[in-house]
Amino acid sequence: MSIQVRNVSKSFGDFKALDNVSFDIPTGELVALLGPSGSGKTTLLRLIAGLEDLDPGESSIRYYEEDMTGQSVRKRRVGFVFQHYALFRHMTVFENVAFGMRSLPRAKRPTSEHIRARVHELLALVQLEGLAGRYPTQLSGGQRQRVALARALAVQPRVLLLDEPFGALDAKVRAELRQWVRRLHDELHITSVFVTHDQEEALEIADRVVVMSKGKIEQIGAPADVYHSPETEFVMNFLGQVNTFQGRAVGREIEFADIRVAAADGEERRGEVRVFVRPHELELNASPNGRPCFETTVLRIHAAGAVARLDLQLRNGRLITADLSQDRFAELAPALGSTLMAAPRRVHVFG
Amino acid sequence: MAGSTAMNFSGAGRRVTSPSTRDPAWVRWTLTIVALGFLALFLVLPLIVVFAEALREGMGAYLASFNDRDLLSAVKLTLIAAGVAVPLNVVFGLCAAWAITKFHFPGRALLITLIDLPFAVSPVVAGLIFVLVFGLQGWLGPWLLERDIKIIFAIPGIILVTMFITFPFVARELIPLMEEQGTEEEQAAMTLGAGGWTIFRRVTLPNVRWALLYGVILCNARAMGEFGAVSVVSGHIRGETNTLPLHVEILYNEYSFVAAFATATILTLLALVTLVLKSIVEHRVRSQMRRAAEESMA
Repeated sequence: MSIQVRNVSKSFGDFKALDNVSFDIPTGELVALLGPSGSGKTTLLRLIAGLEDLDPGESSIRYYEEDMTGQSVRKRRVGFVFQHYALFRHMTVFENVAFGMRSLPRAKRPTSEHIRARVHELLALVQLEGLAGRYPTQLSGGQRQRVALARALAVQPRVLLLDEPFGALDAKVRAELRQWVRRLHDELHITSVFVTHDQEEALEIADRVVVMSKGKIEQIGAPADVYHSPETEFVMNFLGQVNTFQGRAVGREIEFADIRVAAADGEERRGEVRVFVRPHELELNASPNGRPCFETTVLRIHAAGAVARLDLQLRNGRLITADLSQDRFAELAPALGSTLMAAPRRVHVFG
Repeated sequence: MAGSTAMNFSGAGRRVTSPSTRDPAWVRWTLTIVALGFLALFLVLPLIVVFAEALREGMGAYLASFNDRDLLSAVKLTLIAAGVAVPLNVVFGLCAAWAITKFHFPGRALLITLIDLPFAVSPVVAGLIFVLVFGLQGWLGPWLLERDIKIIFAIPGIILVTMFITFPFVARELIPLMEEQGTEEEQAAMTLGAGGWTIFRRVTLPNVRWALLYGVILCNARAMGEFGAVSVVSGHIRGETNTLPLHVEILYNEYSFVAAFATATILTLLALVTLVLKSIVEHRVRSQMRRAAEESMA
């Protein structure tokens, strides 16, 4: 385990930003701290870095079994990348990247030739070789973020911590940069933690996702696990779109929207429950095909994109959405106002 | 003297007015003429008078007025007072601005208010405060007398009041900029292993250098031009405790008009130089502020 977090709490005045959080990060993984704003994810990252002080108590933070609790951020050797880059505005790209090495005590400081070589090596790594003489204001957002990454890597950090690293970039650059960060991670294998509120980003590039809400961890797992087997209602709601129904549990079966189906987890329940069906887990047919299904009316069609999205209305007036593959959409060719039968393939139940 | 620091940086982005939101032409013209007329009457005219009066009896008389031992000692004292007060206020201003913008500590709001105190207090009252504390009849008077330390009616008193009067200038220039820039760069430097002194020297200070210079220029202009407070504590001893502004008054009261105005031209030229430097540096400060704002919004 390269990072161990034990019983960590943090309050700002009356606000409890983190409430007794514990988890481990295995060596070499790229881990996402995912949650809405106010969930405590950035606070947790800053505590791991040592940029905030822990609330007093039985808490501890360890890097590679070494206790870091109370250790100054200067001594922790973390690479930290800030959301707004925090590049030194009066220094060139070269000077920014060299800063960490030049700040070492004289005895440990590399020679200036060595620093020069290392800076150019890092700039090559982040594909900014030609820009060593530029100032931060002369760079685009994506370039600034890559300078920040090179600067953080220059001190040979034991862990790399990134605070909303793609948050300030526009959509296209975001998508490119996160792919690039994933490839860089595969090359360097440095234990990395990044904070994000974007579930797509977390699910796409992380080895492991830590879903947080209101200062607590909701679930930890591989992207596919947290997406397909959410353990809490919050995770179900937060990771991707979902249709919500009120239902009633009868043993292993659930009644909702006039149908009765088995719950995904096969647990026995009784009484009122909340039922969740993801848009792509609804099968649509022109007429009943033998599986439990309910009747819907097509309200809107969004056909642009990888999947076709349909807004449907139930007989009781409720609205739901369903995703269809473009092939199936062409086959079905639904018209506005036409009736479709919806059969849930997979039903998540909480409550 | 250039003494106003009530600079407003909030309008960093230039406002573009469309015809629909613009005031009618006569309003704009009236306002412009009133403003320009005011400037001419209260700034340009006195400026011309200073030089006209100084040169009334010709260049020879003008230059001859500078050949005066008392004047030279006044120049020297003014330079000493500014030379001590400005560097000390730079240190104080940096410390105060650093503390106020980078930390939250009890008494922070009080410190912000106190920094403005010298602007709120009349300079004469400020001088009087020092007389009441350090003067013969003052709180510390007997104690100082016993040890033969002269503060009031001596150079130390002049330096002290000059420092008091000018101490807001540097801090007030730095605080808004440092507030805008935030602490993220310092935090980044910390994660890179830099110590406090390195961070100050290589990150914080270079980031505020233009605002600092701007503050120094204003501080210096005020330190050299201060009249009221210095007048109270100086005792007007010719050749000993006279600064330039006090010397002008003495000469004027003695009906040496040419010499008085000639001395005043030194201060006027200093003001003009200050204005030019100020506009150059101001430009740099503004672009730095704008950049800081852009960066924090990016």
